[in-house]
Amino acid sequence: MKAKIQVVLCKCCTEIPSVLRLESLSKLASESNNVMSVMTVDAICDGKQLAPVMNDVKQKELDRAVVLACHKKDVSPTLLRAYRRAGVNEFMVELVNIREEVVLPHANEPERAQAKAEAKLRAALARSLMLQPLERQTEEMKTRNVVIIGAGVAGQAAAKEAAKAGAHTVVLEKSGKTLKVPGVVMQHSTLVGAEGYGGNLKLKIRAGEKVESLDAAALVIATGGGWTQLKGSLAKAVKDAVPLYKLNEQVQVDAPIKGPVVVVDSPDPSGKTMAVQDFAWDETLETVVELKKKHPETEIWVVFQEMRAFGLSELVYKEAADAGIKFIRYDKGGVPKADPKNPGVLSVRDFSQGEQLNIRFGTLAFASIPANPDNRLIAEVLRIPMAADGGIRRGSIQRWPVSTPRPGVFVCGSALFPKSREAAEAEGEAAGAMASAFVKRGTIEFGGVVAEVEQEKCSACLTCVRTCPYEAPFIGAAGKAEIRIQACQGCGMCVGICPSKAIELRNYTDDQIMIETRTLLGGDF
Amino acid sequence: MAERRPKIIGFCCERHGMDSAVLAARTGKQFDASVRLVQVPCAGRVDGIHILQALEDGADAVFVLGCLEKNCYYDTGSIEARKRVEYVRQMLAEMGIEKERVEMFNAASTNAWAFPEIVAKMVEVAKKLGPIEEGERR
Amino acid sequence: MIVAKRKPLGEIVEMLAPYQKITVIGCRSCVAICLAGGEKEVKMLVSALKIKNRKEGRKQQIDGFVVERQCEKEWVKEVEERILDSDVTLSMACSLGAQTIGDMYPKHLTFPGLNTGMFGVPEEQGVWSEKCIGCGNCIIHTTGGICPIARCAKSMLNGPCGGSANGKCEVNLEVDCAWVAIYDRLKLQNRLDLIENFTPAKDWSTSHSGGRRIYVREDAKLSQHQKKGKEAVQ
Repeated sequence: MKAKIQVVLCKCCTEIPSVLRLESLSKLASESNNVMSVMTVDAICDGKQLAPVMNDVKQKELDRAVVLACHKKDVSPTLLRAYRRAGVNEFMVELVNIREEVVLPHANEPERAQAKAEAKLRAALARSLMLQPLERQTEEMKTRNVVIIGAGVAGQAAAKEAAKAGAHTVVLEKSGKTLKVPGVVMQHSTLVGAEGYGGNLKLKIRAGEKVESLDAAALVIATGGGWTQLKGSLAKAVKDAVPLYKLNEQVQVDAPIKGPVVVVDSPDPSGKTMAVQDFAWDETLETVVELKKKHPETEIWVVFQEMRAFGLSELVYKEAADAGIKFIRYDKGGVPKADPKNPGVLSVRDFSQGEQLNIRFGTLAFASIPANPDNRLIAEVLRIPMAADGGIRRGSIQRWPVSTPRPGVFVCGSALFPKSREAAEAEGEAAGAMASAFVKRGTIEFGGVVAEVEQEKCSACLTCVRTCPYEAPFIGAAGKAEIRIQACQGCGMCVGICPSKAIELRNYTDDQIMIETRTLLGGDF
Repeated sequence: MAERRPKIIGFCCERHGMDSAVLAARTGKQFDASVRLVQVPCAGRVDGIHILQALEDGADAVFVLGCLEKNCYYDTGSIEARKRVEYVRQMLAEMGIEKERVEMFNAASTNAWAFPEIVAKMVEVAKKLGPIEEGERR
Repeated sequence: MIVAKRKPLGEIVEMLAPYQKITVIGCRSCVAICLAGGEKEVKMLVSALKIKNRKEGRKQQIDGFVVERQCEKEWVKEVEERILDSDVTLSMACSLGAQTIGDMYPKHLTFPGLNTGMFGVPEEQGVWSEKCIGCGNCIIHTTGGICPIARCAKSMLNGPCGGSANGKCEVNLEVDCAWVAIYDRLKLQNRLDLIENFTPAKDWSTSHSGGRRIYVREDAKLSQHQKKGKEAVQ
């Protein structure tokens, strides 16, 4: 069937005609192949002006359109819906941003702008002829479960928030601790397998001795921080050191604390791998001040490489100093050490005074907590990226602030990187809310601009499988790559890297991109 | 004779890349008209073939514009794109063609200054190097 | 699989310079998988050569495509016309593919576009490492599954030698000592006693040193009666 194109030129009120001669664009369009109709409108974003355009489409039974207007994101949803109602597939509408790409930046050179606009129109017409109608599809979510891994601060907050929004929550807790959170709590359970995609995930969970399967629509990773012991040479000497949050808990519940108390910034001060985390400073200050208030007689030392008290924490720092808490700065030349023969003494060189200090302590606490080693297993099972320090890496901030690159899989709290209780709780709530919102949609929408494998060409080299951030390509039963379109986000990364050129991105095929390039290069401006 | 105008192709991702170009235009920045933008969903869609084909079809310079590497909408697209651009640059260098003709850029959608700078840089390169044909070199 | 990499483009340009009509043929097997000679590489090479020609004002007609497996006559036969229509064929397959075309069309010029390197394993995306040299007499069941012939710089059968230090090889400090790897693997398998065994000199007659090796499986060969067309005539 012969393609029938409608060309719409938008004046954008008066902006576009002030630089371009629309009549010559209109003439160029009407003289081009397959163009059945050319319309000029004052402002396509005005709903009232859509009606005559769509009537024209219906009358002439047009099947595609080229619209010269402004930025795609500003016009597209309404315009595309209108075209869809008029019987034109929305993927057959080629939007050309004539306003921001030509008129505004080249207003001082109207002749060049005119030539550029004409080249852009030609390119769009050439591309339009090669477009394919595409359909988006939907799939029901089989369950409304939100599975939360970890029942720490972030995990509990996520469960509460998700339940508040009506999602059914399942909390996986590694330990046997009893919890008061909504939904089901599976004790002694860990995630050992996952298949599928956000919306319809099939999880394998080891609960005690058994391995159970569980369907989930969304997943929240809230594994929290990692080891809670000292590392390196300090660990050999001091066996009973506690992480800062434990010390904080003891202070909160008025448990007896053996003085003097020393807080070190890192559990492995001589190690190179571990950076001190930003929350450590604030949390340390608050904890020691509270401890000093409750037990003024306790001697308290804070041994840090540097103390960065942000914002109002500066006041807490001052309060701590006034209360007689001693701050000792050290550097790489004199890291805190303890002698196994004399484990109750921490020896450190005071950087500012240059003196070697031997601090006798009753309790040793460390502020930073490294990433949770469980993250590796979970990231491996879910095939999601990790940060170099062992935390789960989040996806683009543009998408969601608490998301992994995989849709439907969220992450919060210290699983990302260690952070304070408040921040972890806030992130947990955010992840819970995001997960329940995701689940409440009830369906997964997919398709449209997605990758497609031409299997005869595929060499099954696995390059696409390794490159895709979304786990969309896989090697199917035929021994050739296939695309799981429910997971495909339409970025085209696999298409650009396929060594056998066996994958194409619908409506962004090599031919379509290259004809656009070629036509644009044909213009002289 | 009028000065020859350079021909530059810019493959631009429809996320941060295009947004930064649009923002530049909206904030009243003027830049050279010789850049022809080709919109792709993600910089990772750009194949070395597209870049080479553009040079073959008469472009003096080609650039790819994607999101910032740590904040790519498609997670790793702009990292992937940079690797491909690097590969093409290496191919050009092996043949004795100026690799400066091909460049990768990253921009955030809020960087109104980024796009005019990219255009200026590529126009400078294209004007300095002239067309690929040796005979026509000034 | 066979691992190859593209020859430097300068070398290819020089090789092809005297000819007018050039056909570039890739292969969908090993070299596609090791990202050296699949359709993408062929297209990029053709495009790059055209750019070079544009630069130097040289007129050449360059065409590129891929076949399923260039080392098999049947696949090459399918594109016979396009091969013979050109002045020179640049094979973007391993040397096996280039030689298959060369043997089939001995008068026609077939040049290699790739340097064929080794039998390698993709360790990760973009990294290939050699693990076998095809000596024709495999012994890795006695060495913990690690081949000392390919991975030891001296192909020692009783290692490590005195040049092994801190797990690295004296020939190149970047290279891991194969025998340390073998020791570790055997230890893991509780078979360390094997490393004490003396292995006498290997039968190298199965290796490359006797000229071209030919493997025949009589039962798989087509009998005279089964052959078709001109191959039936002796």
